[in-house]
Amino acid sequence: MKARFNFWVPLVLLAWAGVLWVDPAPFVSPVPPRVAVPAWATDPTPVRQPKLRPEYQVAGYTYQCMDCHRIIPSPAETFRKLTQHAEIRLNHGINTRCFNCHHPHNRNAFVDDFGAEIPWNQPQLLCAKCHGPVYRDWQAGSHGRINGFWDPTRGPQSKLRCIECHDPHHPPFQPLPPAPGPHTLRMGTPGPLPHAGPRDPLRIFDRVRETSAH
Amino acid sequence: MADSETSFPGNPPGPNEGDGLTRREFLGKAAAAAAGLSALAAAMAPLRHLSEDDLPSVEEFLQKHYKEMTPADKERALNRIREQVRQRYGVEANVTDPPPLDGVEFVYGLNISRCIGCRKCVHACVAENNQSRSPEIQYIRVLEMEKGSIDLETANHHYDPPQVPRPDKWYMPVQCHQCANPPCVKVCPVEATWQEPDGITVIDYDWCIGCRYCEAACPYFARRFNFTTPQIPKEELNPNMAYLSNRPRPKGVMEKCTFCLHRTRVGRLPACLEVCPTGSRKFGNVLDPNSEVHYILKHKRVFVLKADVGTLPRFFYYFDERGSRYHEPITPETKGREVKEAGA
Repeated sequence: MKARFNFWVPLVLLAWAGVLWVDPAPFVSPVPPRVAVPAWATDPTPVRQPKLRPEYQVAGYTYQCMDCHRIIPSPAETFRKLTQHAEIRLNHGINTRCFNCHHPHNRNAFVDDFGAEIPWNQPQLLCAKCHGPVYRDWQAGSHGRINGFWDPTRGPQSKLRCIECHDPHHPPFQPLPPAPGPHTLRMGTPGPLPHAGPRDPLRIFDRVRETSAH
Repeated sequence: MADSETSFPGNPPGPNEGDGLTRREFLGKAAAAAAGLSALAAAMAPLRHLSEDDLPSVEEFLQKHYKEMTPADKERALNRIREQVRQRYGVEANVTDPPPLDGVEFVYGLNISRCIGCRKCVHACVAENNQSRSPEIQYIRVLEMEKGSIDLETANHHYDPPQVPRPDKWYMPVQCHQCANPPCVKVCPVEATWQEPDGITVIDYDWCIGCRYCEAACPYFARRFNFTTPQIPKEELNPNMAYLSNRPRPKGVMEKCTFCLHRTRVGRLPACLEVCPTGSRKFGNVLDPNSEVHYILKHKRVFVLKADVGTLPRFFYYFDERGSRYHEPITPETKGREVKEAGA
């Protein structure tokens, strides 16, 4: 009995040592390969960079608006197709008239409710004519982008104006492509999950609800 | 001496006498012992791949709890981290330990009427906070839900349409809520995580034992665990670091959003806010009556996620409503105030 014990114990241990050394089933990492993140995903540049100056560029030249409009009239209505400024896509709800916003006599300025001029670099005063609550929220900081320092005593704060996010002729914020989704551990497999599917343990509650309903 | 002992009549028999080992037994047991030692050595084989980085240095091992460190201790720890970053990444890091500011309590506001779900905040956070790129660790999770519902169980964070927002969906980014009653702090068995006076819940990565109780306790799934050594390309490492926020983490510790305290405690805005294209994210000192977050809490419709669990988050979701009765009207005095202030 003793002899047999002494015989197979070292053999088993040696065999196990060999298995561990050869490592026939090496560890396979569940870490997925890295998904490249495009540079724009971390770029804080605003979506629009309007000039905030009454300038118009055509054929490589830059003009002030009044360079032309001193002599060229504009149609009061915009129901017909424009012959100039054809790139403008006016889609601003019921606001379909150029002179609701642009000053009828001084095209280098906007117009307020009483016919006075609003400087080109203060477009928020123009937008406030109709969008009062949003303007009030923007003044208070709950609407719009503020960058830099939360504490203005410690550093500069930049506050974007309306048209630095919204196209004034087509104001809804334009859709963007989404940055890559999560490929993390413990956040499920990528791709849309079927309703109450078996892959997501969090969905077990849905199944419970379904079975208890029937 | 030995001869005299063995010849003594009362001495017990020697090893080769009477019931002692025979030669055959001795060889067998010696072979078994040798095989056992070989097996042990083989089992320890993974230790061959252990690098110097995997073991804490003596200084790191003897380091005190963050709250018990003297300024000199802290300086030593910061120097050690600088040296580690230099060795691992070849980067000269600016490692600091900014203290909480007096009279400041940070609060975050997120406008769910404006969020379009573009996930730029997610990736700006990863870049700023030196999170692992492989495996990915992300503090912010953007949930996509059906409009008209707030059913988190059916929310999807893997959405990938060509463009966002989808017309029938809405988006809700979730990250650490910096709770005033944080369950993650209560469950930590070693006090490696605590709430700072400015409301930020932080982790001392040198004190964390990686038990992940806090991850289980957090109702927002806001804490992340380093299952393996974080991989960060050295050209992507952010050299502006703080002890309690974005310094590189070792394997086996928890990490979480700290409201970018290396930025916010010196007055700057967090990275997720800076990159948000729609301006949905708002941050500031709620104790300052002129701050944006103060205005939001006072005038907007605000809710917190999972209010029923009693965590008292400092992260508030709000939305814009038409015809709110909580606002003051615009008057000729308030209209154009920003122009007058800029002129003055």
